[in-house]
Amino acid sequence: MAVQGIWSGTVSFSLVAIPVRLVKAIEPGRISFRLLHGKDYSPLRRRMFCPEEETMVPPDEIIRGFEILPGQYVLMTDEELESVSPERSRTIEIVEFIDRKEVDPVYYDHPYYLVPSKGGEKAYQLLVEVMRRTNKAGLAKFVLAEREYLVAVTSRDGVLALTTLHYSEEILSGEDLSPRKEKIAAEDQSRIKKSIEHMIADFDPGKYADGRRKKLMDLLAAKVKERAPVEAPAVEEEAGEGPADLVAALEESMQKVKENR
Amino acid sequence: MAGATIWKGYIHFGDTDVPVKLHTAVREERIQFHLLHRGDQVRLRQQMVCAYEKQPVPAEEQSKGFEVEEGKYIIVDPAELEQTAPESNRMIEVHEFVKTGQIDPMFLDRLYYLEPDIQGKEFHALVKTMEELDVAGICTWTMRKRSYFGALQARGKMLRLNTLRYADEVIPAGSLELQDVPLSEKELKIGSELIEKLTAPFEPQKFESEHQKKLQAMIDKKARGEKIAILAPRRLKPTESDKLLQALEASLKKAA
Repeated sequence: MAVQGIWSGTVSFSLVAIPVRLVKAIEPGRISFRLLHGKDYSPLRRRMFCPEEETMVPPDEIIRGFEILPGQYVLMTDEELESVSPERSRTIEIVEFIDRKEVDPVYYDHPYYLVPSKGGEKAYQLLVEVMRRTNKAGLAKFVLAEREYLVAVTSRDGVLALTTLHYSEEILSGEDLSPRKEKIAAEDQSRIKKSIEHMIADFDPGKYADGRRKKLMDLLAAKVKERAPVEAPAVEEEAGEGPADLVAALEESMQKVKENR
Repeated sequence: MAGATIWKGYIHFGDTDVPVKLHTAVREERIQFHLLHRGDQVRLRQQMVCAYEKQPVPAEEQSKGFEVEEGKYIIVDPAELEQTAPESNRMIEVHEFVKTGQIDPMFLDRLYYLEPDIQGKEFHALVKTMEELDVAGICTWTMRKRSYFGALQARGKMLRLNTLRYADEVIPAGSLELQDVPLSEKELKIGSELIEKLTAPFEPQKFESEHQKKLQAMIDKKARGEKIAILAPRRLKPTESDKLLQALEASLKKAA
């Protein structure tokens, strides 16, 4: 399967360097609708728009700005952003390995896969296999666009997975939620224990489908019988369409994930 | 400290109902950039544009379509979509309990903390029992017109609710179709030894995003009108296949 890379660079541990590409591991499975122009059924595209000039702005005229005073910005080019931590923008350097079972799942954020680039296949497979045998994960920090991520590199079904982790300062303690002294009635506990033991099963996520998805599929199946689908006018792909680079593409997809929440 | 209460409901399993409040558990703070028009530094906004007419399309002229085949859509109106939204009933229904180690971390999505609501008598009994049995409750619920699938987990007297991704959202590793490369037992043995040598306890608090501070310093510098040195990203030379054993041996020596 050809997969689009989000990022390319090197994953390293000690003196071994493996060229890799970062690819997605999660595909939002919700039924997705496309926004269309009601009049001609042409799909709509997300573009950046300058409200002052009332024009669409092509990617090469877009720059990041940090607002220091209302309406006043410090501009940052991609090269300048990469210069903030140049040692981490193209290298995922595993600084240490940890036992996977020590990781509190509270830290896990978003998973990706790493795939080997040409010439890196052997060293890649070695890392996959030794991390599988030892049940370890590699910890690294790397920078993508304006953010530095703490990540865990793990071995999963013959592939390297990369999961971004939350920094511990981002995790709220929550200790204010649980009172220090609580009384547990023995009869409550034994009744709950009995209930739970009765309900023990194996983890099988496949059987929990989203009910709404089913309803939507039913609705669509009914509609397609009622009326033939509408057809969009043919549009030629213009050069320079879409996001300027893959980092922008990633940000766009992250944005979509947020909108879907 | 936990985040604000975002939802209230009750956990239901067997013949037990435990009222709870949901709190956010993670707070991310980061430096926020805006996208500007390079020439006049006007802040840009996103606009939906018709691919055919190349013109902006206001919200009232937009419709939603499901693509049945390339370029062919079934138009669905908002009222019809509304009907498919799940009904809310405030119940977090536990369907089964599984050993905590069985939950594949790749399924874990967002995390919430649960606080006992009204009287917390059974709440604490539930937390204690789940910890003792080392189990998580697999549950479903509806919140803000969306159905969720999740895992209830007890940890250190606290109860957490982790939303889980649906199985068809996780891309199987096998679909990447990576080639098998033969490795020698010697390479694997030295590789494993090296990893053991480089292993440390998991101490996430020792990692902080230094990058945020460096980025802020760069912004401040630019704001004062100072020049920024452009540094090329470090790129490592890939280890060639026939040099792998050598690199592993040298690494092991270095780690010793």
